[in-house]
Amino acid sequence: MKAATLIATLCVAIAMTGCGTKKGFEKPGFAFGCPVGDGKIGDMKDLVKIKSAKEGGRSADIELEEIRCTTTGDLLKIDVVLYNDESDVERLQYKFRWMDAEGMRAADEESWKPLLMYGNSRQTITTIAPNAKARDFRFIVMGQE
Amino acid sequence: MTNTQRSQRMKPTPISRRALVIAAVASIALVAGCAGPKTRYGDAGKVETVTNTFGSTDLQMLSEQMSQSMLTEAPAIAGGNLPIVTIQEVKNKTSEYIDTRAITNRMRATLQKSRRVRFAVDEADMKKQTGELQRQDSEYYKKEKSAQMGEMIGAGFRITGEITSIVKETKKVKDVYYQLFLSLTNIQTGIEEWSDTKEIRKTTER
Repeated sequence: MKAATLIATLCVAIAMTGCGTKKGFEKPGFAFGCPVGDGKIGDMKDLVKIKSAKEGGRSADIELEEIRCTTTGDLLKIDVVLYNDESDVERLQYKFRWMDAEGMRAADEESWKPLLMYGNSRQTITTIAPNAKARDFRFIVMGQE
Repeated sequence: MTNTQRSQRMKPTPISRRALVIAAVASIALVAGCAGPKTRYGDAGKVETVTNTFGSTDLQMLSEQMSQSMLTEAPAIAGGNLPIVTIQEVKNKTSEYIDTRAITNRMRATLQKSRRVRFAVDEADMKKQTGELQRQDSEYYKKEKSAQMGEMIGAGFRITGEITSIVKETKKVKDVYYQLFLSLTNIQTGIEEWSDTKEIRKTTER
C-alpha cells in the first residue's frame, strides 16, 4: 500500500514538472524558439504581434500565421509563415531587422525583397541571422507600390 | 450702349495690364520649374521595377539568398572551421550586360561580416597583391617592417558559377527568367562541397 502511494506521488510530481515547463524544452525568455525577453507570450498570435510590423502607406493584405525560430550553429534561423486568405494575388515586400542582445542594431538594414502570393495560399519565408551578434529580430512587411 | 462705349469699358486699365503681365510671367516660371528634372535621394534597398532587365533588387536578392544558403548548407562553412575561400569567375551567360563581380562582392562582404569565412586574394586582385609584395621587397623598405615573400596562404575552397537567363517576348508581354548557379569546391580534393541555384522571374505587360 505504501509503495503504491509512493509511486502515485512520484507520478503526480513528474507530471506537474512536465506541465510547468512550456512544451518541455523552451528556454526562459524564449517562445516558439524565438527570443522574447520579458514579454508575456500566451500563444502564437502574441509572438507574431511583437515580432512583426507593417510599414509603408500601402499595407500588405496578408495574415502572418506563424513565426518559429531555432539556431544553426551560433546563428538564429527563422521561419515566417504567411497566408493570403483572399482569392486575389497579393504582391508584398518584406525584410528582417536585426538587433543584438541589448537591442542595438546588429547588422545593416536589409533591402526589401518582393514576394508574390497566389490567392488562398501559404508561403514560408526562411532566413538566417547575418552574424552571431544578431540575437533578436523584427519581420517587416509592406505592400508593393 | 454703342460699340465705342463698350470697347472703352472693356479696355484694361494700366494697372490691370501690369497685373496680367506679372501673372503670365509667374505662370511661365511655375510651369518651367515643374517641367525641369527633380533630383531626390531615395531608398537604396527599395524594390526597383523600372524595367525588367537585371536591376538592383535582383542583385541584392540573389547575393543575400546565396550567402544565406552557403552559411547554412555548406558543411565547410556551417561547421565553423573558418575556411579560406577564393572567388573565381561567375560567367554571365545572359543576353544582357551583368556585372557578376558585383554579385560576388556583395556575397563576400556578407560572408565576411558573418565571421565564418575568410577570403584569400582572388585571380582578379593577384597582380595588385604580388605587385605590392614586390614593392615592399625592394631596397626602400626595412626588411623587418615589410611583408615577406612566400608567406601568402592559399585558399582551401573556390567559389565559381554562372548566371543564365531565358527571355520570352510577345507584343504584349515580356517575361525574363534569371537563374544564378554557384558552387563551392574543395581545391585539394576537387570535391564539390556545396551548390545552389536561385531564380527570379519578372514579367512586363504593355
